[in-house]
Amino acid sequence: MSTSPAGAVYDRGYRPYDGPRLGRAGILRALWLASMRRALGLRRSWRQKLLPWLLLAIVTVPATVQVGVAYLTRDNPRIDIEFITYREYVGVSTALLLFVAITAPDIICPDRRQRVLPLILSRPLTGTGYALAKLASITTIVFAFGLLPQMLLFIGQMLVSKSGSMTYARANAEVLWQVPVAVAALAVYYAAIGVAVSSLTTRRIAAAAIFIGLMLVSGAVAGILSEVNSAAPERRTVVSPPPPEGIGPGQSPPETQYVVVRRANRMTSLVNLSAVPLHVRDLVFLGHLEANDDLGGVDGAGPAVLGLYSFVVALAVGVTVLRYREAA
Amino acid sequence: MTAVLRADGLTKTFGSVRALDSLDVEVPAGRIGFVGANGAGKTTFFRLVLGLIKPTSGQVEVLGRPVAADPVGIRMSLGYMPEHDSLPGDQTAADVVATLGELSGLPARAARQRASDVLNLVGLDEERFRPIATFSTGMKQRAKLAQALVADPKLVLLDEPTAGLDPSGRDSMLELVRRLGDFGISVVMATHILEDVQRVCDYVVMVDGGRLVAAGPTADLTADTAAVIVEVAAAARPLAIALEEAGLACAIVDGHVEVTTTGPEDLDVIRDTVADLGLPLLRLATRGHSLDEVFRERAT
Repeated sequence: MSTSPAGAVYDRGYRPYDGPRLGRAGILRALWLASMRRALGLRRSWRQKLLPWLLLAIVTVPATVQVGVAYLTRDNPRIDIEFITYREYVGVSTALLLFVAITAPDIICPDRRQRVLPLILSRPLTGTGYALAKLASITTIVFAFGLLPQMLLFIGQMLVSKSGSMTYARANAEVLWQVPVAVAALAVYYAAIGVAVSSLTTRRIAAAAIFIGLMLVSGAVAGILSEVNSAAPERRTVVSPPPPEGIGPGQSPPETQYVVVRRANRMTSLVNLSAVPLHVRDLVFLGHLEANDDLGGVDGAGPAVLGLYSFVVALAVGVTVLRYREAA
Repeated sequence: MTAVLRADGLTKTFGSVRALDSLDVEVPAGRIGFVGANGAGKTTFFRLVLGLIKPTSGQVEVLGRPVAADPVGIRMSLGYMPEHDSLPGDQTAADVVATLGELSGLPARAARQRASDVLNLVGLDEERFRPIATFSTGMKQRAKLAQALVADPKLVLLDEPTAGLDPSGRDSMLELVRRLGDFGISVVMATHILEDVQRVCDYVVMVDGGRLVAAGPTADLTADTAAVIVEVAAAARPLAIALEEAGLACAIVDGHVEVTTTGPEDLDVIRDTVADLGLPLLRLATRGHSLDEVFRERAT
């Protein structure tokens, strides 16, 4: 090839690609990672980074305070302040809820609004794959943001423990499975609802408002129902047993009567959607629902909570998958 | 040579609307123009090729593989540029194209490298690090083309690539389409602008109301007609009269004379008549069909 004069525009032409290619799983993984990057504001302006990382900082505050207090009082055996327990830490902060309300619409609504979806779905992945990758990305971040402060708390407590690190670790070994399981249950639940709501609208604000509204309104409704129930007097009903057999006509039945007290049905607090993963958390940590809770001691409340949890998650995932079954 | 696209009795209905009506067509590799008015079934055809919708009946084959057998896998070899705006405005072109490259199956590093290469190819160099919202229509069209090319497809489907472009933007987009053919990438360009097709495509498929109107190499469809164009300086009328007297059918079109010839001897008559009148002959040429004419003739 002859030498070109200085300043010439070189036509670099086109180079074919003959390197390795990802399989279907690799492509879904790429979408999962790309969605997480977007949710965390990576490769975006600082304004988009601010909120997610601020929320992470907020959820870390209780762990920092607890470890800090334990550190400052480590030489005084009489002071043993338990500021927060591992169980309470799961879902202690509405920061995670807020995080889902902001990021789930952000990684889903613009794809439809800006019509990026046809570009994505013209690639080797299905609508279902798309929906599940988006769901997985939000779940992963909420799980990580829920777990990280707990790990900080555990390791911190171990290091400053008055009874020694290993003793502390052995004494609290069960939280090593309880925390991840409870946090995962919470992450799946929030993410599934957040993603489902976001899939229904192209407007981020609307999705965020519906998500928060769903949680707050259901909580308020549950509160009202609970008030109504506790205000209602216990209803006493007089029940006469059926006459024993062998008593013929003309014979008078025994005068026994029974008084049955019907208690208000406290299952109504199940209506509070935002509390469902917290009830699941209690089942994981305590094996039963918290006694002071509205549902505490109510017969069958445990299975009802698990059933409702599974139903809501299945419904949310179903809605999401349906929304992308033939969307292009 | 195997066909890049083959449709057998391809039909797609949406309710009572027949978007495509038993389309039978086989197109070779190269630059293909897919021509039809808006609503002729072009976008439906693309969505069937991409396996995004299922045909009501019939089938379509892409690069020798039936789409129905593996609608997702087929997209590994395809690139698609939709008609409407479809890029996220808050991200840079480099980022979007790289991410879409990954979703087409490129490993992350390769996707970034290819994104920068194809953006360069379409003429977005420095601009690739700017948010897409700041792009002009022409730049957005180029970025859309880049995302279709990022994973080195065998075939790219372009839906109205020159839509909304000014004349120079349109020229450079058509030039890019022409060059893709040189790189060995087959292109199907859906458009309603026949002139664009005539300029860059070597094969034409014409559809109207979901039905095939004509298909064939552009050169065949625009083959020479029997008409001869004679252009003389400012004296078309006397020439036309003289030619009529010499026994040739002719008409004045756009200031020049169009003569219907029956054989080479008629050309001699034209030459002699012009010479007899002492007129300066500016042009004597056979007239080709325009795709417009082909479409008008056959679509009715």
